[in-house]
Order: sequence, then structure tokens, then C-alpha cells
Amino acid sequence: MKTNKNNYIQKIGLIALCSTILIMPACKKDFLNVDPQAKQPATTFFKSQDDATKAVNSIYGNLRSWENTAFPALAIESIPGDDAEKGSSVNDASFLNNFDNFSAGSTEGQLAGFWTGQYQNINLCNQVIDNIPAISMDASLKARYLSEAKFVRAYSYFRLVRAFGDVPLRLNVPKDASEFNIPRTPKAQVYAAIEKDLDDAAAGLPQSYASADLGRATKGAALALHAKVAMYQAKWDQVLALTNTVMTLGYNLFPNYEQSFRLNNENNVESIFEIQCEIIPSIEGSATSQYSQVQGVRGSVAGWGFNVPTATLAAAYEAGDTRRDATIIFRGETTPQGDIIPATGDNPMYNQKSYVPFSLIITGFNEGAQQNVRVLRFADVLLMNAEAANELGNTSQAQTSLNRVRARARGGVIGVLPDVTTTDKVALRQAIWKERQVELAMESDRYFDVIRQGRGTAVFGAKGWKAGKNEVWPIPSTEIDLSAGTLTQNPGY
Amino acid sequence: MKRIFTRISVLAGICLLAINVAFAQNITVKGRVTDGGDKSTIPSVSVLVKGTQNGTQTDATGAFSINAPANGTLVFTYLGYVTQEVAVNNRTTLNVVLQSSSQQLDQVVVVGYGTQRKIDVTGSVASVKGEEISKQASVNPISALQGKVAGVNITNSGTPGSSPQITIRGTGTIYGNTGVLYVVDGVWFDDVSFLNPSDIENLSILKDASSQSIYGIRAANGVVLITTKKGKSGDPVISYNGSVGYKKVTNQVEMANATEYATIINELISLNDPAATPLFANPASYGVGTNWYNQGFRNAMQTNHQVSINGGTEKTTYNFSLGYTGEDGIVKTQDYKRYTAKFSNDFQVLKPLKVGYTLSGTAIRTNDVDGGIFRQLYAAGPVVPVYYADGSYGDANDFSLGGGNNFNPQVTLDFFNQKSKNYRFTGNVYAELTFAKHFTFRTSAGGEFAQNEVRGYAPVYQATQGQRNTQSKLDVRRDENRNWILENTLTYKNTFGNHNITVLAGTTAQRRKNYFLNSSALDVPFSSDGDLYLALGTAGKSTVTDGGSLTTSASYFGRVNYSFKDRYLLNATIRRDGASQFYGGGDLWGNFPAVGAGWVISNEEFMKDQKVVSYLKLKGSWGKVGNAGVPVNPTTLTIAQGGNLVAFYNGVGYTGANINSLVPSFLNWERTVGTDLGLEAKFLNNRLSIETGFYNKKTEQAIFEIPILTSIGTASGRLIGNQADFQNRGFEFLASYADQTKSGFSYSISGNIGINNNKVLSVVTGLNPIYAGGAGIANGALATRTIQGGPIGSFFGYQVAGIFQNTAEVAASAQSASAKPGDFRYVDVNGDGAIDGKDRVVLGNPNPKYSYGLNATFGYKQFDLSMDIQGVADVDVYNANIAFRFGNENFSKDFYDNRWRGPGTSTTYPSANVGSTNNAAPNSFYVEDGSYIRLRNVQLGYTLAPSLMSKISLKKVRVFVDAQNAINLFGYKGFTPEIGGTPTNAGIDANVYPLSATYRLGLQVTF
Repeated sequence: MKTNKNNYIQKIGLIALCSTILIMPACKKDFLNVDPQAKQPATTFFKSQDDATKAVNSIYGNLRSWENTAFPALAIESIPGDDAEKGSSVNDASFLNNFDNFSAGSTEGQLAGFWTGQYQNINLCNQVIDNIPAISMDASLKARYLSEAKFVRAYSYFRLVRAFGDVPLRLNVPKDASEFNIPRTPKAQVYAAIEKDLDDAAAGLPQSYASADLGRATKGAALALHAKVAMYQAKWDQVLALTNTVMTLGYNLFPNYEQSFRLNNENNVESIFEIQCEIIPSIEGSATSQYSQVQGVRGSVAGWGFNVPTATLAAAYEAGDTRRDATIIFRGETTPQGDIIPATGDNPMYNQKSYVPFSLIITGFNEGAQQNVRVLRFADVLLMNAEAANELGNTSQAQTSLNRVRARARGGVIGVLPDVTTTDKVALRQAIWKERQVELAMESDRYFDVIRQGRGTAVFGAKGWKAGKNEVWPIPSTEIDLSAGTLTQNPGY
Repeated sequence: MKRIFTRISVLAGICLLAINVAFAQNITVKGRVTDGGDKSTIPSVSVLVKGTQNGTQTDATGAFSINAPANGTLVFTYLGYVTQEVAVNNRTTLNVVLQSSSQQLDQVVVVGYGTQRKIDVTGSVASVKGEEISKQASVNPISALQGKVAGVNITNSGTPGSSPQITIRGTGTIYGNTGVLYVVDGVWFDDVSFLNPSDIENLSILKDASSQSIYGIRAANGVVLITTKKGKSGDPVISYNGSVGYKKVTNQVEMANATEYATIINELISLNDPAATPLFANPASYGVGTNWYNQGFRNAMQTNHQVSINGGTEKTTYNFSLGYTGEDGIVKTQDYKRYTAKFSNDFQVLKPLKVGYTLSGTAIRTNDVDGGIFRQLYAAGPVVPVYYADGSYGDANDFSLGGGNNFNPQVTLDFFNQKSKNYRFTGNVYAELTFAKHFTFRTSAGGEFAQNEVRGYAPVYQATQGQRNTQSKLDVRRDENRNWILENTLTYKNTFGNHNITVLAGTTAQRRKNYFLNSSALDVPFSSDGDLYLALGTAGKSTVTDGGSLTTSASYFGRVNYSFKDRYLLNATIRRDGASQFYGGGDLWGNFPAVGAGWVISNEEFMKDQKVVSYLKLKGSWGKVGNAGVPVNPTTLTIAQGGNLVAFYNGVGYTGANINSLVPSFLNWERTVGTDLGLEAKFLNNRLSIETGFYNKKTEQAIFEIPILTSIGTASGRLIGNQADFQNRGFEFLASYADQTKSGFSYSISGNIGINNNKVLSVVTGLNPIYAGGAGIANGALATRTIQGGPIGSFFGYQVAGIFQNTAEVAASAQSASAKPGDFRYVDVNGDGAIDGKDRVVLGNPNPKYSYGLNATFGYKQFDLSMDIQGVADVDVYNANIAFRFGNENFSKDFYDNRWRGPGTSTTYPSANVGSTNNAAPNSFYVEDGSYIRLRNVQLGYTLAPSLMSKISLKKVRVFVDAQNAINLFGYKGFTPEIGGTPTNAGIDANVYPLSATYRLGLQVTF
């Protein structure tokens, strides 16, 4: 009996053993096939109109990134100018001084950050441009999406070419590793690609959107950016033609200069393109912009106090110019929104264009993360129009456009900021440049504007700027190292 | 939850009922079992009537009583001792002396899927008794391994209950899971912080590839096998172990006081801007100010209670235990409480069939501190008082300290409110069937269910101008792990003539699933914990995100052990693993073979007549193991979708998603090939034993991310792939000596040392190095470099040649454009007249070359004393605290005293402007010697005399006092040179948790 029982158990054991060993391989193939968790495989993406919509959205979302709006952008495009300097506590982030005194070498982290940020935009655009055409979807929407991507791609390449000169030009997503390491494309060809994108964008973008799409790139944005790109190449005919067109699209100067930079006046009649920023607590991780935070009044609730106005800028305004007080927060002042700025602290001045009133600062989020970044304004278009007209000998149009900007700056006060009446081409050019300096101050325009005007040594020479070198920044050393010599360094670095 | 407890109690009830089986026949034999070495009595020895299931075990005084046939034989078995058979021969009293098997050849060690006689082992396996772990003050069982095993390097962290970093024979991987595999009673874990050290019977560390290869897929970083306590036949033995003690910060870094701080900050301001007005008009007026470390630290309580019941009949055995550990953090408000319960039962259902289970539950509850608190305590200005006279918080803003240290750490401690709760059930059930005499089939199912909840609440408050919150926020994170493992093994074991053979074949399937849910809500009121629900937040302002991972694996394995005459040994292993990580775009299956051979020279005929050597064995092995610790689905390109890609149109958010990454098209297994040569010898009648070994371990096709051109535009700028080969070569030596004098004084001393050399053999980037180590380094500069020919993660930067004393020196130097007097003068290595990235050199190695331990025990009459000394040598650490500055952070007193403050004041320390780009760049000043030696443990115990015991009807009472980390010797200027970190970021001290010493008083009682 006992033996039988044991035999029985043994048999069961053997059967169990054999079946286990036999069954396991059979189920193995499926067992090991595990899908990615909480992530959508790329093979299922770019299949529908909805995918196309999300991909285009990502392009706009990424424009808020640190690299696009904070330290890297300010270090490369603003602090080196004579309108702005590092600011903040003397001892904080002193590396930013290297951009103000032109001692920045190729290892400065902000260079790599700026470079990376632009190419990240470009990749997102290239994904859209490469993949959307094959999607079966509304044809007109498809055309518009492609145009939106081309606008942002052009904007990013413009920032790159202005900062570095020749840069690797990627107009498609690399197909495989053989397309990873490409040399720098000459500046002129990069500009040509930018202009091609902007032509396409202007053709495919609407003049305006229904309110649900407010903030997307428009035809006006493509034309205005194109004008600016043309201006950097001194193609004055083109600048004049493009700005003339933009001036027919219904834009106007916002009556109150100071108010035009406040939250409730975002996307106003003067706005041509803004990076759209918001704080929406229910959308985790979307309040990414640190644009206002890094420039906020230090020692208050607003931020870190970097990229502050200089004494040079404060002295550049004519008497009675309302833009001086609208651009600069002075220590000890009370802002129009009623914030009292403490009389003592690290810096005498802060940027008012990125300012978010203290009562609107929300703790738990980047301070002022809801403030849009003004990229292109109608005032800029008017001044480009004035400059182009003057260069082409159309003095009266130049005066008209210039004086339109000055008129708004009077803020209704009579007897200040008289119209510019000179007909002398050189004097008028100087007046337009001067107007750009004060109108667009603290908007990351001044530094490259002066270089474009060929006045680098005259304006920045005292700070260490050297002709033949500082027209462009060095290519980040990490990128040169990774390219194993395919990328070359700019002269002088 | 309630239901699970109900089930546990039902099970426990069943087990308790099964205990009361009695047997009546024959004669009653009584006696006592003692240790042949120190003559102490041995509790829990299994006593079995040979050829039957009739057995018992000795009680705490080593006594036993058993009914046995008058002509029968009793078998005495105890792990770590030589099994002894004694014929009864009509005797009613039998006193038995067991010889410790550490001095004998029959010692058994736990190896993968079984046990082996130590004599038969051809690989490198170290065994540590549970008692050696549980007697220490360490809350985490792995922490207690420090200094115990040659070649095993433990880096402890001070966070209560946290797991240490463990490296076995050097760093062999640099990415993904770099931790060892823990196998607890057959179930696989990445971390065993949930284990109560008192529940551990034995730890076995598989150090070489041939012993690891049976765990193929996960073995490359080493394997630690943990066996928990099982029931032993005999009357119930109830034990209580308890201790109470406290932890205290040791080697505290002295910071500049308020006057010194004000002085050096004024200096710093004038260095940056000579025209600026000093921040502090009269530094002396601030006195000594606040010592923030003293304000934040405390002597922290540690309490331990553990009760266990162990016993059984010949057919049923049981082991139950309950444990509690409470440990406060040395930072105020931090605490850790762990409750453990463990149940195990084994049933001999039928003669050939045995079934059993182990089930354990752990609950861990902690009050957490802000991760940045150590940084804050370091950086906070001592001029700021903790509180003003009116009771309000001292505010750094009132002193215009600026953004770098605009905080009062006390506010951070007071308003940071985060609690974590971790519940975990683990267990396994098995059935073991013996058939056809030599075969054993075993099937087991094990698993883990764990849930972790972290709840943080930020109230509305305004403590200082900078530390405030205008909107309350509740964050809840829940994490779940659901893992299972199924295993079947078939073992054939036979002896014929002089041949001993064991063959093992098996299969395994595993599934590991993680799921987490993160949520938050705003404006949640707080009057009690009952309010802290997401539902009470403002509508439309709550967030929910989730994520998870899933991996599966399936494997076959087999092993043959063969020995001839106990002289010639041969082992061969193979494991074939399939892992879901590699599905579709990788080697789905990997094969991991190993072989080993040994020669027990002392068993040869020609050794018979010599008296010097009592045991001598030569062994060698080779094996291959894998590392599946890579990200899941690494070859599947996925879509990025997140808040950062959300677009806003007219103030409304819209989902953004796109492709912003790259994946490799194909990935191979990362594998490690190891060769091991060893010698074991015993002399002087087994009193002196020596083990020595040499190993060469090569990691092939290491998987990790390397930076790619950022112009490709990916979000990470990195691409994963099989990128490099590494090598760890080393030598291990262990010697121990044990003896006792005639007067009853017994002692044992053992020492171990491991020497390891780590080297990168090749990298896919060729001679282009991999830079890392940016975390905690000023300006995000990268402080480590991994390059062909050097060790992984070498510190890399500028070599300091001195300090510029004046402007003339600066002007004449290669740094004329950027430097100022008081700055570091760097060596122009390439002599091109400029200091740039090309002038950086290797500054140090964070991988310790030597790690060693010295363990000693002494016993005399009722006293026992044990002592562990442990250390590492030839290792470097990077002190990132000094230069990580944004403004007016405090300085250490050492820096204050030695800083440059004018021509001729210092040629080694820079000026107060140490945080400038020039000075903060990784350089040799920050690399310090990381060697240390410490008195890891010292414990003095007293066991009450047995004569006293009978009067108070207790079996054993022992009291002890001990200290852990009481003495630490090192030259490093931070809190502790024990830093840790991922392989390419190791050894960088960015405000690590300070080192502390623990002092305890304990009591052990057996009823």
C-alpha cells in the first residue's frame, strides 16, 4: 500500500516534471514579447491627423525650453549687448560675465546649451516635415502644418547662423548613422535654406487664426522673420518689399508701450510672433519657461535677477521717452502694477519687459512662467521698413515708419521725442539704429543688430569685442570633439 | 490588507496545531551538545534517530532529550559543524562534542540551487553566518557585510535603513542596474532593505563567474544568496533580542563662524568688484553666530526588538518571527520604522514528499527630510539667527545674502512634510519529491508584492521672504511591484565507488512588473492627516501621471559536479537565458557556460605522512555571465510626450508628442567572462587557514549611453549601445587563526584583503573619452573621464601648480585673460601658452585598489568580545562642496583658515573666489585621498552563568554593549570619504549624508 502510494506520487512528479519542461518552450516566444510600457512605439506614430497635430504642438512646446528662453539664449543673444549685463549677485553664475566681456571660450556650457536647444527645435520640425506628407489627412491642414514647422525651423537656423556663422544644415531627420556626422554648411547656403523655408511658410500660413489656434505662426510672422533675415544680409529691396506687405496685414502699434508687455495684453495687435507660455496646474510639467524667472527682480518673490539693463541703456533714452521707465525697473520704484521694489539689493535695474507683477507669481511653479516671450513685434517691422527705405533712398517712407514708432513712445505727452526730420541718409540711418536700440531694448535684438551694422568694435570694443573674431561665437568644443574633427572651429577661438 | 492578515493567522494556527505530535517507545536519551572549540553549548542542533524521521533539537543550553531505540544511532547535525553519528548502546546520557566544520572538511556552503561541501567547490564562494550580520548595529543586512569578505566592497550611506552600494570584485558595468542579484530563499531581488537581519541564517556571496553562471542573466555584478531561518525539530525555542542605542555624527566638518563668514564674504565681494561696498560693515559684531550643523543634527535613537519561535516535530517544523526596528535620522525630524513578520513551515507530507513555504511581510514607515538639507546646512550663512528675538525665523534676506543661500535650514526642516510607507509581502512555496532513490524533483513558486506610497504636503506659509508658499500642494506617489518566479529543478545524486556525481537540470520563468501613479492637488486644507486627500483640492488643478515597466525572462540551466576520491573535482554549468529586454532587435537568447576544476592535494597518498599541512586545495575556473540590467525595450523607438511639449494656444494646453530620441538597431548582451585561480590551505591542525585567489574578469560589449552630436537634436544627446570592454583584475587573501588556551580563553583572528585593478580595455569611441561626473560640480563641468587604458570614471581636470600671488604673475601666465591674483595657476600641459580643455589630466581614481578587514573574537568564561576593523586604501574622492557656489554660501573653517588673502598668504588654497569659473573648474585641489580605516564594530557581551539560569527558569541571558563606527581615521576634509555613486560619477562628494557612530546596549533572552 505504502509503496503503491509512493509510486503514485513519483509518477505524478515525473509527469509534472516532463510537462513543465515541455510546456515552457512552447509558451516562450509570446512570454518574452513584451511591449514598451506607458510609451507609444514610434512605428504607430505619424499615422493620423491627430498624430500630425500632436507633433506640430511639440514644436511650439519645445520653444519654451531653458535653452531657447533662459541662460543659454540670454548669454548668446542679450548679455553681450550694451543694453544688458549679467546682473544678479556678483558671486552668482559669474560665468555669464564671460559673454559680456567676450572671454567666453568654446567650453562655456551656455554655447553648447544654445546650440543643442536650436537643433532640438530643428529635429522636431524635421520629423514633421519628413513624416507628415505620407499621412492621409486634410490637405489644407497638412500644408499649414508643414508651413508652421518650416517657420520654426527657419527661426532656429536664423538664431544659429547669427550666433555661429557656418553650421551643420540638417533639413531631414538622419536616416542612419552615416548621416550623423556632417560638416558645417557655409553661412550663405544656410541663409538660402532659411529663406526657402520662409517663402514656403508665408505661402502656406494663414494671415490669422480663429481664437482656438491663437499663438501659431502666421503668414505675417513668416514675412516679418524673412524681412529680418534679409536685413541681416543687407538685401534691402527684399526687406522693403516684405515689410511693406506685413504693414498691409492689419498689425498696428499697441497704444501703451508698457502695457503691451503685460500678461493681459499678450498676442495683441502689435504682436507678430510670441512664444506662448502658461501656468496650467492640471498639466503636469508644462510651466517650463524660466524666461521671466531668471530675469525677475532679485531679492523679491519674482526671480533671480539676471540679464539686467545697463547704465548705457538707461542713458540712451531721450528726455521724456516713456519707454525708459517701461523697459527698466529701477530699485526703489513702485511699478505701475503697485509692486514696491526694495530700495537696496544686488542690482540697480531689472528688465521690465519680462516682468510679471508679484501678485501673479504662483509658488510651486517657475516664477512668471506664464509670461509669453515676444519674438517679433510690429515696431520692429516698422523700423526694418524705415531702414530699408532709407538705404534705398526713399527718405520720406523711412521717416514715416520711424516716426510712427516714436509717436507711440511719447505716451501722449506733447513736446517730447520730436519727429525725425533729417533727410541725410547717414544721419537718418543713425537715427533708425538709435531707435532700434531703445525700442527693442532687452528683447535680445541689440547685440547682433550692432554686429550687422558693422559697428562691433565701435560699440563693444571697450568691453573686449574684437573684429575678425567676435562676429560669431565659438562652436561648442564638446560638439567638435564628438565630430572627431569634422566640425571646424571659428577663427580666433 | 485585512484579508491577508486573516490568511496568515489561519496558516499560523494550522502550523501550531501540527506541533503537538508525540512519540513513545524505547528509552529516553538525554544529553548536552557542546562546541569542540570553545566548549560552549550549542542550541538548535538537530538530533535525529538514524533511519527514521524521529528527531528533536537542542535547547538554548544545548540540552536535548529524545526517545530512541536502545540499539539505535543518533545523528547530530548543525550548519557549520561536522555531522556526528553516535550509537546509543543503552546509554541514557550522551554528551556530544561537535567539531566546527570551519576547521574540518565537511563544511557545507550554499551555492546556486543547492549546497555543496566546501571541499567540492571549485569557484569562489564566501559564506557569512547570519549571526555575524544580526549582531551588528546595521539596520540593513548588507551594510553589515562591510569588511567581512575579501573582494566585496560596501559603501554605506547614513540615511536610516538605506541600502549600501555593493561592488563585488570591482566595477564591471557602468549603466543600468549595477547592483548585485540577491536571491532570498529562491526569489530574486534587486534590494533587500526589507529584510530583518535577525531572520537571516546564512549569506553566500558568489564571487567568480563559474559559481555565478547558474544565474546567467543577472549575475554579472555578483550574486548574494540569502537563506532565512527555517524551523528545526524539537521543543519550541522562544528568543528575544533587543537593543537600544543612539547614533551621533562623527567627524563633523567645522564651518566658518559668523565673524569669519562676514569677513570672507566681504573679501569675495571685493575680489569680484573692488569698488563694491562690503556687505558686512563690522564682521566682528556678528560673534560666532549660528552653527547650522549643530542646529540641524541630533543624537538619534535606535531601537530594536525581535521575538522568534522555532521548533517542530520530525514531520513538521516551523519558524516564526516578529521584529521592530526604529531609527531616527541624525537630521532632526527624520525617522525610519520597520516592522517585519516572517513565517515558515516545512512539512514531510509523505516519506518522499516534502512541501513548505516561507512568507514574510514588511512595513516600513518613514518621515523624510528635504534632499537638499545637507547642502543647506553647509551653505547657510552663520550670521543668520535661527530665530529672531520675537520668535520669528531668521531671514537671510534681511542680511542681503542673495540667491545662493537665501534660506534658513530650520524652516526647511519645519515645513517639509513628507511621509513614506512601504508594504511588502514576499514568499515562496515549494514541493520536493524524492524518487528512484537518487532523484529529487523540486518545484517552487515565489513572488513579491510591494507597495510604496510617498505623500508630501506643502502648506501655505511665509517663514522668510524667500521661503514661502502661497498655494498648498499635496503630492501622492504610489508605486507597486508585482513579481513572480517559477522554478523547477531535477537533481540526481549518486556515489559509486570512488565517484561522486551530482547532476542538476532546471527551468525558470520570471515576470517583473512595476507600476506607479503620481498625482497632485492644489489648495488642499490641512488640519489633520484626514484632510490629506487629493479630492479635497481645487477642481481642475489636480494632476495625474503614471508609468511602469514590465520584463520577463525564461531560462534553462544545468550543472554537473563530479569528484573522484575527494581529490579530483570537476564542475560544469550552463545556463540559457531569454530576456524580454532584448526582444525584437537584440540577442533574445544568451548562453552562459562555466567550468571549474580542483585538486585536493592533501587527500593524496603522498601527503598522508606529513603533519604540517592539514588541508591543501588548488582550484581554477572559467565562466561567462550576463547582465540584463539594461533599460526595457532599448531597441524600440518610442514617442516623447510630456508637459514640456504641450503647446498653448489662446491659453489652453494641447498635447504635444514627437520623436526626439534615437535607439540602436541591435543590441547584444553585456557579458562578463571571468577566470579564477585559488588556493586553500590549513595548517597547525586546522588552526591556521589561508585562502588566496587571483581573478581576471572581463566585461565584454558593455551597454551604456555615449554622447552623440547634439546637432542630431535628440532630447538626451545620448545613444545606447554595446560600447566598451572593461577589465577587473585582482588578488584576494584571507587568513584566520583560531585557538583556545587551557585556561578557557578562546580567540579567533581573521584578516582579509582584496586588491583590484580596474581598466577600460576598449571603447567604441576609440580614444575619444566619455566624460561624466557633472552632478554637484560647479557650472555643470564634467569631473570624470573614462578612456581606453584607464580606470572607469577617473577624475579629470586641471593640475594646480600654485596660486597667483599678484597681477604681475597673472600677466606673465597663460591665464592672463581670465585669472586674478588668488586664483589657481594651472599647468599648461601641452605648452601652447593657453590653458584650455587640452591641458586637463587624470587627477585620481575613485575605484579603491585595496579594501581590507580584520575581524577578531575573544571568549573567556562568561565574557565575549568581538571587533571588526575595516578600510580602503589607494582611492580618491572629489570634494565638490568647496566650489559649488552661486553667491554667498558659507565656507569650511579649513578653507577660511588657509585661504589666499593677499600676496604670500597661501600657495595652495585659492582666494574666497573659489566659485569662479576659473577656480571651480575640476582641478587637482578638489581631489583628495579617500583612504580610511575604521573600527567598524566592537561588541562586549556577558552571558549569565548556566547555574543562575535554572534559578530564574530561563535558558540563556546575554547582555552586550557595542559601538559601530566609533573610530574613523581619514585625511579627507569632508564628512566621510565613503561616497559611492554610479560608476562614471563615483566618489564625488556633493553634500553626502554625514557619517555617524552608533552606540547600543542590548539584551538577548531565550525562554
